[in-house]
Amino acid sequence: MSTKIKDKILNTITYFASGISVFVLGAVLVFLFSKGFSTLNWDLIVNNYWSQNLLGTVDSVGGDYTISEEVDGIYSARWGIALKDNVNSQKEKVIEVTYIHPESPLKTMLSSSAGDNNKEITLEDGYTIQKIDIVTSDGIPTFTGKIMSQDAATVISNIDSAQKITSIYYKTTGGGIRSSLITTLYLIVISLVIALPIGVCSAIYLHEYASKSKLNKLIRQGIETLTGVPSIVYGLMGVTVLFPVTQLFGATTTSILLGGLTMSIILLPTIMKSTEEALIVVPQSLRDGSLSLGATKSQTIFKVVLPCAVNGILTGVLLSIGRVIGESAALIYTMGTFINDSPKLLSQGTTLSLMIWSFMSGEQPNFELASAISIIILVIVLVLNFIVKAIAKKFTKNFA
Amino acid sequence: MQVNKKYIKKNKTIDSIYKYFFMAMAILASSFIVLLVLFVFTKGISPFLSGYEYGQVNFFDFLFGLTYRQDKGIYGVGFIIINTFISAFAALIISFPISVLTALFIVKIAPKNLSKVMQTIVELLASIPSIVYGVFAGGVITGIVKDLALLFGVSTAGGSSLLAVVILLAIMIFPTITSLSISAIQAVDKDLEQASLALGATKTQTNFKIVLIAAKSGIFAGAILGIGRAFGEATAVAMVAGNKLFGPTFNPFDITRTLTTTMLAGLKETSGLDYDIRFSVGLVLMVVIFVSNYILNLVKKKVGNM
Repeated sequence: MSTKIKDKILNTITYFASGISVFVLGAVLVFLFSKGFSTLNWDLIVNNYWSQNLLGTVDSVGGDYTISEEVDGIYSARWGIALKDNVNSQKEKVIEVTYIHPESPLKTMLSSSAGDNNKEITLEDGYTIQKIDIVTSDGIPTFTGKIMSQDAATVISNIDSAQKITSIYYKTTGGGIRSSLITTLYLIVISLVIALPIGVCSAIYLHEYASKSKLNKLIRQGIETLTGVPSIVYGLMGVTVLFPVTQLFGATTTSILLGGLTMSIILLPTIMKSTEEALIVVPQSLRDGSLSLGATKSQTIFKVVLPCAVNGILTGVLLSIGRVIGESAALIYTMGTFINDSPKLLSQGTTLSLMIWSFMSGEQPNFELASAISIIILVIVLVLNFIVKAIAKKFTKNFA
Repeated sequence: MQVNKKYIKKNKTIDSIYKYFFMAMAILASSFIVLLVLFVFTKGISPFLSGYEYGQVNFFDFLFGLTYRQDKGIYGVGFIIINTFISAFAALIISFPISVLTALFIVKIAPKNLSKVMQTIVELLASIPSIVYGVFAGGVITGIVKDLALLFGVSTAGGSSLLAVVILLAIMIFPTITSLSISAIQAVDKDLEQASLALGATKTQTNFKIVLIAAKSGIFAGAILGIGRAFGEATAVAMVAGNKLFGPTFNPFDITRTLTTTMLAGLKETSGLDYDIRFSVGLVLMVVIFVSNYILNLVKKKVGNM
């Protein structure tokens, strides 16, 4: 009897222990979605992080842009623009453009900012109005807008009563992750282009050619030791070993290229391991068959063995992509943490993870945006993992 | 006949070219670890050598110092090493029993469907990147710690504390230990179990007294891997550690500082002593991981033979 009770207690304890992991996963998901889901929208993905200040020359007296449908905010039929008071993601009061008529004189203008003079610029929904230079009905030039601490209604009535608008100073929408997405793609491509051939070739050598010599054991151990190195140490390695390499390409600071090179080394063991696991499953009889038909060893590898192992290589690639998206510590050292809206190969930049780090380590952590990006990262990584699982299932069926 | 020989010879040359090409790639891949150790060592040791351009640092002050202040140029990592050990082992102590019991549940106790679901959950937890755990820790774990602190009537720095680090690390090393324990438990010889059952032990007694003991070597390997991850975890920990300037920290509600957070704290310049000393800290981190791995592996051998 007491044994029975004891057994029951022990079993219940294991149920509780497993319950903890369910609880943790649930807590992570609930937290991220409750904080970040409302921030998650298409604008977040297509917008730049930093908002741009633009100054456009208008010089127009307006026209008649009456519209039939209702628009959000206060609409000025003379200028074809609707404005609304709003609060931006930095918690500042702004005057937001909620609608702009396609033929409005404020829609397309020539830029008069220093630097890109006479470039055509446009005003879009979601941009914020800082200042509008007007000439009043008495012919006096003055201005109206947010810098005068006016609200949307005042601005609309001012421009409606004005003689003409001479220029308009506005801000594009910021707070988006477009540049980080591009940087992440850069990083995935660079690291895979380098790591894939090296990793696959090493796996082929170690599985197909290598005898049990001391040298080969050493080679294997060398690659496997890479798995145990913490990623932050890879960052140190990147700036000491690989930075000179990027200097050959003209890099002067840490750069996306350096991050990519560093990532490629981090990925090596992953790619090698999954390729080798696939090579192991390829039946020896296939190799023997090919060799006995007169094919050489390299022909056998390229035409018989590798096509059978392609699933394993694909698995390695998918796992690598997940790793690149999630990596942060190594990249803080090799790519910097400055969010760069025009990422180039030799410029600094941030991936999605680094972007989170960049504004979570600041004074005022922005949990909403961090959670929204975390959701994106999580979804990508989970989808990749499910594909890997599906491949593994199909793969084992092939030779079973 | 002549043509055929030529053909064979050509193929043989191509074949050996490929072989040496593959070999070169493998050697290249394995040389990275050598480069890594060599370069980080050289750079990490440089501040302690005489003639260092930003002023030589005393090696013993560095290794045993109990204050780390970038602003004053005092670099002592002695207390940071202790802090790192405290947080990593505390995380292991919390995570280890939960992981092993979960693994046992998945392999032996749970009904088949539940076992599959649980395995997927462990895999999901393993695939969450550390930065996401960091966001979670910053938003939820610090909140829990704050509430706990209120309960005990102590103050915390917004929840950033040793306790938060320990909870975070415990969560992060859980999937590692669990998945290795699962493989270890699955590998236990069926004969052993059946012998135990035949001798009249119940299923549960067999699970706890035979299976777990037989799998201890593999489970221990999981613990070693887990503690390695706890030592090396950087960004997530840095979000909740708080970076104390002196130490060591024993109070769970006080802020702490680990080797990895030190390497990340206030990283701005890319030259100067403040930058170079991070390599020395990185070197210490590598030594800490290497030494603890070595010792734990010795222990594992002892445990495995018991």
